[in-house]
Amino acid sequence: MITEKFKRTILDELNLDDFDIEDDTTADQVPGWDSLNHINVILAVEKAFNVHFKGIEVLRCKNIGALQNLVNTKLEQKQ
Amino acid sequence: MLFNIDFNKLLQLFTYQEGDPLLFSTSFFIFFFFTLLLFYRVFAKKKNLRIFTLIIFSLFFYYKAAGEYFLILVIMTIVNYYSGQILGQLKEGTGKRRFLFILTLVVNLGVLGYFKYTNFFIQIFNDVSSGHIDALDIFLPIGISFYTFKGLSYVIDIYMCTLKPTKSFRDFSLYMFFFADLLIGPIDRAADMLPQIQSEINIPKENIGKATYLIMSGLFKKIVIADFIGLNFVDRVFGEPTRYTGVENLLASYAYTLQLYCDFSGYTDIAIGVALLLGFNIMDNFNAPFKAKSIADFWRRWHISLSSWLLDYLFAPLQMKLRNLRIYGNAIALFITFFVIGFWHGASWTFILFGSLHGFYMVVSIFLKNPKTSLYNKLKLSNTKLLKFFQVFITFHLVVFAFIFFRAFSIESGWDVVSQIFAFFQAGVFMQFVKAYPMIILLMVIGYVLHFLPEAWEKWTENFVVKMPIVVQALLLTAMILLVVQFKFAGLQPNIYFQF
Repeated sequence: MITEKFKRTILDELNLDDFDIEDDTTADQVPGWDSLNHINVILAVEKAFNVHFKGIEVLRCKNIGALQNLVNTKLEQKQ
Repeated sequence: MLFNIDFNKLLQLFTYQEGDPLLFSTSFFIFFFFTLLLFYRVFAKKKNLRIFTLIIFSLFFYYKAAGEYFLILVIMTIVNYYSGQILGQLKEGTGKRRFLFILTLVVNLGVLGYFKYTNFFIQIFNDVSSGHIDALDIFLPIGISFYTFKGLSYVIDIYMCTLKPTKSFRDFSLYMFFFADLLIGPIDRAADMLPQIQSEINIPKENIGKATYLIMSGLFKKIVIADFIGLNFVDRVFGEPTRYTGVENLLASYAYTLQLYCDFSGYTDIAIGVALLLGFNIMDNFNAPFKAKSIADFWRRWHISLSSWLLDYLFAPLQMKLRNLRIYGNAIALFITFFVIGFWHGASWTFILFGSLHGFYMVVSIFLKNPKTSLYNKLKLSNTKLLKFFQVFITFHLVVFAFIFFRAFSIESGWDVVSQIFAFFQAGVFMQFVKAYPMIILLMVIGYVLHFLPEAWEKWTENFVVKMPIVVQALLLTAMILLVVQFKFAGLQPNIYFQF
């Protein structure tokens, strides 16, 4: 499940007013989320949730749902 | 006389002949391929037999191209298969797993490096230390740059846990050996190919039409356009650029850009078509690259299987590592990636310069992105046809400029081409050239016009062929082969990418 905060973080970083993001949406389907901008989105997510990803963890994500799960796991580990 | 068969010649057909691989566009290939198709259809329901037929044919095909060096391919296939098996069993995050992964990378890149770069480094060492190590007599096994990357993507995907190792050595061997994408790509991924190998074959009529269209288009691009303008024009000018005026050097640079595209994408079209006839969808490698509006766009359209490979396995990890440097991290990762793209093509300063030029273009473009956008908005140019025209025009010329060095025998000789264009243009020679070589100009115009036609037109033509009855398709293909034969006056030219 994509949370509102997670979605808002991505949309704000990409200067989008609204875009429907589902679990199986992939980065290249989101306007402006290209291979160069990718790094800014990842940094924005890390900052918003105060988590730190390992490179390989992000590279493994096949879609945005997987990135959301990664954030959830990181937040659980912090508790 | 009928039985007076020259057994020596017959034997030559089945054994390795140096510099004479089984080119897709030879009658020998067509003969072998139709024999293969026949067996393939007979064994359609017998999976094991069908796959082994394809494996044996592929090994024969590779043996014809590389001789005894086909053993390297077999050994690397065994190494990558077993490394994948063990990586799949070892627990994630353990030192053992990491060690085995790095070892596999070193073995793959070490073998590639030995065959491809040893003499280059010996030469650099000699230049720097004025020492005298003799160059080694190393034969570059054809296709090694391509199949090394295929094997690596399998191992890396397993290490990253995005792919489960296949349990079938037979299926993995076919992935590695498959003749259609073996010599010059496309660099297919195991994740796309293994499921296709494992499933039953299904070749809808539509795919036969599509294959016919692709094979025709590939033959036309390769033999009519690329070989003709290459032999009759490009080779001469690039052989001695200073003997020609700037106009001729500029035209030769445009011609080479078209030749390289038609040579490589023509081969790829035939490869995709041949694979379709066997029931496989292999990756596309080109998407009208000269229509690109930026260098980044160009690399999404040119040699896609290589650029996406390096994007996934080199650029993305580097970018992730350097992410705290933000735009500078992107810039460093981009430059390294394009440097590697250049060096991947071969051990030569010209390829390094080619890659570095593209790296430089990309780095400059990411720093100019914001100022450019605000300038376009101020001038109200955003999304206009005029802007698009200029973007395509400038991108195309940046690409041509880099390809001059890609083609040249040395950086100095490439520089001769550039300086002739700027210092000795002689515009008046153009009309003389058109009169003297109308065929070259005609083929260049046809090549570029066909390239720049709207995509919808190409789709329409393809559908038109697809909908024809198979008999008409066969006639059309025969007509194309007859046309191509007219152009094969100087013998077949090996594809440019065979040397990489």
